[in-house]
Amino acid sequence: MVNVIFNKVQKAFGSVVAIPDLNLEIGSGEFVSLLGPSGCGKTTTLRMLAGLEQPTGGEIRIGERAVNNVAPGERDIAMVFQSYALYPHMTVGQNIAYPLKKRGVPKSEHPARIKAVADLLQLGPLLERRPKQLSGGQQQRVALGRALVRDPKVFLLDEPLSNLDAKLRAHMRTELIELHRRLGKTMVYVTHDQLEAMTMSTRIAVMHQGHLQQFATPSEIYNRPANTFVASFIGTPSMTLVEAEIEMAEGAAFLLVGGQRFPLPPSLVMADSRHRRPITLGVRPEDISIASGEAARASVKLVEPTGHESIVTLDLGGAHFVMRAAGDVALRLGEAVPIALRIDRLHFFDRESGQRINTDAERPAEFRSIAR
Amino acid sequence: MTSRLSTVILNIVTWTLVAVIAFPLVWMVLTSLKPQSELFTIPPGFLPREVTFEHYRILLTDTPFLRYFVNSAILATSTTLLVVTVGALGAYSLVRFRYRGRETLAGLVLFTYLLPSVVLIIPLYLMMVKIGLSNTLASLVIAYTTFSLPYALWLLRSFMAGIPEDLESAALVDGASRMGAFFDVILPQALPGIISTALFTFILAWNEYLYALVLVNSDQSRPLTTGVMNMLITAFNIDWSLLMAASVMMSIPLIIIFAFLQSYLTRGFGAGGVKG
Amino acid sequence: MTPLERRYALLGLALIAPTVLILTAVIVYPLLSAIYLSFFSIYTPTLAGKAVGLENYRTILSSAYFWHALWTTFVWTAGTLVLQIGFGVGMALLLNQNILFRSLARSLVLFPYFISTVVAVLVWRWLFNDLYGILNHLLIAAGVIDMPVDWLGSMPNAMVSVITVGAWKFFPFVVIAVLARLQTIPEHLYEAARIDGAGTFSRFTDVTLPQLRDVLSIVILLRIIWDFKEFDLIYLLTGGGPMDNTRTLPLIVYQQAFGLNQMGMAAAYAVAMMVVMLVFMLAYLAYSRDRSTP
Repeated sequence: MVNVIFNKVQKAFGSVVAIPDLNLEIGSGEFVSLLGPSGCGKTTTLRMLAGLEQPTGGEIRIGERAVNNVAPGERDIAMVFQSYALYPHMTVGQNIAYPLKKRGVPKSEHPARIKAVADLLQLGPLLERRPKQLSGGQQQRVALGRALVRDPKVFLLDEPLSNLDAKLRAHMRTELIELHRRLGKTMVYVTHDQLEAMTMSTRIAVMHQGHLQQFATPSEIYNRPANTFVASFIGTPSMTLVEAEIEMAEGAAFLLVGGQRFPLPPSLVMADSRHRRPITLGVRPEDISIASGEAARASVKLVEPTGHESIVTLDLGGAHFVMRAAGDVALRLGEAVPIALRIDRLHFFDRESGQRINTDAERPAEFRSIAR
Repeated sequence: MTSRLSTVILNIVTWTLVAVIAFPLVWMVLTSLKPQSELFTIPPGFLPREVTFEHYRILLTDTPFLRYFVNSAILATSTTLLVVTVGALGAYSLVRFRYRGRETLAGLVLFTYLLPSVVLIIPLYLMMVKIGLSNTLASLVIAYTTFSLPYALWLLRSFMAGIPEDLESAALVDGASRMGAFFDVILPQALPGIISTALFTFILAWNEYLYALVLVNSDQSRPLTTGVMNMLITAFNIDWSLLMAASVMMSIPLIIIFAFLQSYLTRGFGAGGVKG
Repeated sequence: MTPLERRYALLGLALIAPTVLILTAVIVYPLLSAIYLSFFSIYTPTLAGKAVGLENYRTILSSAYFWHALWTTFVWTAGTLVLQIGFGVGMALLLNQNILFRSLARSLVLFPYFISTVVAVLVWRWLFNDLYGILNHLLIAAGVIDMPVDWLGSMPNAMVSVITVGAWKFFPFVVIAVLARLQTIPEHLYEAARIDGAGTFSRFTDVTLPQLRDVLSIVILLRIIWDFKEFDLIYLLTGGGPMDNTRTLPLIVYQQAFGLNQMGMAAAYAVAMMVVMLVFMLAYLAYSRDRSTP
C-alpha cells in the first residue's frame, strides 16, 4: 500500500511558472482526481509524478521513496494516456507484454499474466490484432491492460475517457470504479470533466492556474466549495455568484442582495462580525425556488427547458440567479415571481479574496477565525 | 456535353505535355536499342527498325562501365548507411532532447543544407590530399556527407517530430530507457520516413558529379557519373547508342525506386523538401 | 537542472555528437578554410602559396570577367526559374484534375528530377546534335527552321538551351510541391466560392492562388538558391562556352581552381559568390523560421 506526496513542488517551463508551490498528500488506495480547466497544471502534476517532467523544486514521494531523480521506468507506476499511446507496430498481446519484457519478468510468466489481464478486460479475442483495427473503447481497454499487467504501485490516468463517445464513457466510468474497488490500488486520475471526478473519486484536487484550490471529497467540494473558483467550476449549471452584503443589527443578521433583505438564522450569525460586510453570495440552482405566498419577487429573464427540468434565469433587482425548476414549469418572460432561498445552503465568500467565510455547522472553529 | 468535351480537351492537353516532357527519356531508350547505322538516317525513324541489345553487351564487356557501376553502388550504399545512421540519432536528439544550443544547431543544419558545394570543394580537395584519401571511394563518401547529412537530418527531424510524444512517454513509463524507447518505439514508427530518407540519400549520392570530378581521377574508383562522361570525352568517335545504353543502365536504380517505392519519394518531399 | 534531466541532456548531446563532428570536419572547417584561402595566391599542383591580403578580391571586383559571370548567373537563374515556376504550377494544376492514368502521368513528369544530371545532359546533347539530332529534324520538318541550328555552340542559343534543359530537369520539384499543397486545399472553399458566384477563373485567383502563396514563396527561394549554385548541368552541357557566355560563378570557381590552377583566386570567387547567395539563404531561413513558430 502506497501513498503519494507532493511536498512544495514547483515547476517552471523556462520563465513561465506552471506550478508555483504544490502540496498534496494522496492516501494509500485512494482514487484521487486532479480536476481543473485546461492549463491548470493538472497534467503537468501527473507527468511529474510519472517522471516525464522534472520538478524545478520540492520533492515527490511515492511510498517511502523520494522519486525526483528516479527514471519513469523505475518508479513502479503505470500510466494510461489520453491518446492511449498504444504501440501501433505491435499487436495487442505484444503491447501488453511490453512492460513485462522491459521489467525483466521471466518470459515463462508472460502468458499467464497476459491472460489474467485479458480475462479481466475481455481482451481475449483481440490479442492478435493491431491497435489500428480496434474501436476506441477497445483501444482504451488495451491501454488499461498494459497498465494493469505488471501490477504497479500507483496508477496514473491522464484523461483516459475523453476520446470516447458519451455512452461508452459512462460505461467505462463504472468499469473503472469497479476496477479500483477490486484492485485497491492508489490511482491518480486527471480530468477536466467534473462528472467523472465527482462520480469516481474518493477525493478531488481542484486546480486552477497551478494552484491547488481545494482537496476534499466530492460531497465536500460540492457542498462546501473553498472559494469562488471551486464554487463556479463544480456543478452544472454553475452556481450563481452575485455581489451581496451581510448586515448585523442588534444580534440579528440579514443578507442584502438585489435590493432585498433576507433574515439569516441564528446558526449563521457571526459572533463579532463587522457591522456590514461586502461578500460574494453563492447560490446553487437547486437552492432557489418559487415561493408560495408573499416573498421577494424576481422577474423571469430566460427559460431553458431541457425536458426533465427547466433552467430559469431570474433577475432580482439587477442580480441574476439561475434556478432549477420542473420541466413543465409555466413561466412567462418578464413575469415577476416570488422567490425563496434555502438559507442554510447559501455560500458566502469574501469579496476580495474569494475565500469561503461560511460558519459551517461542523466547523465552528473555522467560523470564528474567518468571520473576523 | 460541354463538360465531357472539356474533359477530353483536358486529357489531350495534359497528355501531350506529359509526352513532350517524357520524350527525351523515351528517345534515350529507343536510341539505345537502334543499330548504329539507324542513327544516321535522314530523316531519323522513331521506332527502331531492328531492335538490338548489342550496345548493352559492348557496354558491359568492352568498357569499364561495370566497374563504375559497382563503384557507384558501393559509394551510394555506404553514404546512405552512414548518413541515415548518424542522421537518425541526430534527428532523435534534435526532436526529443532539451539542451542549450539545440535550436541554433537545427538552424545551422538548415543553413548548411543550402551551401554551394563549390565553396567547400577546394578545402575538401586539399584535405583529402593531405590525409591521403584522394582518388578513393572513401573520400567521396566523406564529401557526400556535406550535402546528404544536412538533408537527411532535416527530413528525419520532421518525420520524427510527427511521431506522437506519448508513445515514447508510454515506453519510458513501461520501463524502457531513452535508447530503449528509441529502438522499440521511435525507430519502428519512423521506418517509412527512414526508408524515404535513405532513398533520397541514395539518389543524391548516385547522381553526384562535381565532387567525383574533383576528388577522383582514376578508373579504379570512378563512379558512374564521371565515368560515363569520361567515356564521352575520351571517345574518338562519339557512339551515341552506347552512351544512351549507359544512360539507361545508369537510371535503372531510379526506375526500380520509381516503380516500387514512389510513395516514399513523395512522402519525403512533403516532409523536408518544401515544408522547411 | 535535476540529475535526471542532466543525464538526458548528456545523452542528447552524445546522440548529436557524430553529426556535429562530421559537419564540423566537412562543412565548418572547409568553409572557414575557404575564406582563409581567399587571402592567398596558391598554385594548385604544388599547393605553394603566399599571402596576398585582399588582392584577390580587388582583382575580382575590378575585372569585367566577374561582373559578366555574375550577370550570366542572374540570367540563367531568372530564366530557368521563370520557366520552372510557370510550367511547374501549370502542370501541377493539370495533374490535380481528374485525368486518365493520372498516377502514370505524375510519375512520368517527376522522372527528370530524379535522374542524374549526367543522364539528362547526355540525352539532351544527343537531342541537340546538329547533324543527327532529332530536334533539328523535327523543327525543319515542321518548317520552323530551314537550316540545322547549333544549339550549344553559339549565342544566344546556348543560353536558351541551358535554361530550357534546366527547366526540364528541375520543374518537377515545383510540381510535387504545388501538387502536395493543392491536395490539401479544402473542397468547401471552392464550394463556398461557387455559391458566391465565382467562375472557374476567379475560383483560381481567389481560392487557389492565395492558398499557394506560402508554398510558392518557399519553392521560389529554394529554387533560386539551387539554380544559382548549379554546376553540373551547365558545365556538362556547354562547359561555360561559347566564349564564356554561359560561364556562371560556380563554373568560374572550378575553372580557377582546377583549370587555371589559381586556388586562392578560386576561393575568393567562391566566397564572393556565397556573399551574393547569402541574401536568399537568409531570406529562406527567416521565412522557414517564421512558419515553424506559430
